[in-house]
Amino acid sequence: MNGIHDVGGMHGMGPIVREDNEPVFHHDWERRVFALMISTFAGGQYSVDEVRHAIERMDPAHYLASSYYEHWLHAMETLLVEKGLLSQTELEAKRSQLAQEHS
Amino acid sequence: MAVLTPDMVPAAVATGGSARVNVEVTPRFKPGDRIVVRNINPAGHTRLPRYVRGKQGVIQHDHGVFVFPDTQAHGGGPKPQHVYSVRFAAHALWGSEVSSQDSVYIDLWDDYMDPA
Repeated sequence: MNGIHDVGGMHGMGPIVREDNEPVFHHDWERRVFALMISTFAGGQYSVDEVRHAIERMDPAHYLASSYYEHWLHAMETLLVEKGLLSQTELEAKRSQLAQEHS
Repeated sequence: MAVLTPDMVPAAVATGGSARVNVEVTPRFKPGDRIVVRNINPAGHTRLPRYVRGKQGVIQHDHGVFVFPDTQAHGGGPKPQHVYSVRFAAHALWGSEVSSQDSVYIDLWDDYMDPA
């Protein structure tokens, strides 16, 4: 797919910023996304190539504005809905519930 | 449905689920062979960067046999084949203004290339 992920040779993206002593996770929710990805892989829900393609299919502006683990989360949501393990309605309901709990 | 139990976690995280497969497949190329990259533009998944399509390079090293991502991403099966480190002269990719000393090495599957 000739998508936004294939940025090799593109100008104007700025320097690659290297973080000294970079932690494995910057936020606790990233640990959870990592664990969910490993467990859904082990459950045989999808291949790494399906996950990569789900990331490539993200809206280009969203792709550029979101972090590495947001890409993982987006791919899991996309694939689990496409494979029928989750419904979009269930996802939206959980999002609303969490938003209310944290408001 | 398969389940990930706590005792399986260290191995799962350490190996990352390699795409290498232990099957005998005849390689189409060997180190030193000159190749030209196919100009494919699939709407689906591919690991072939746009900037090497149609370019010429030289096979440096045969990594062995791996799952083919372009089919595996779409339920088309693993289609196992050789993956090679391929060397491209930087000026072949980016023009005469870059150093003639520089090279770019990219891992490419058999199905991405033809003999030059």
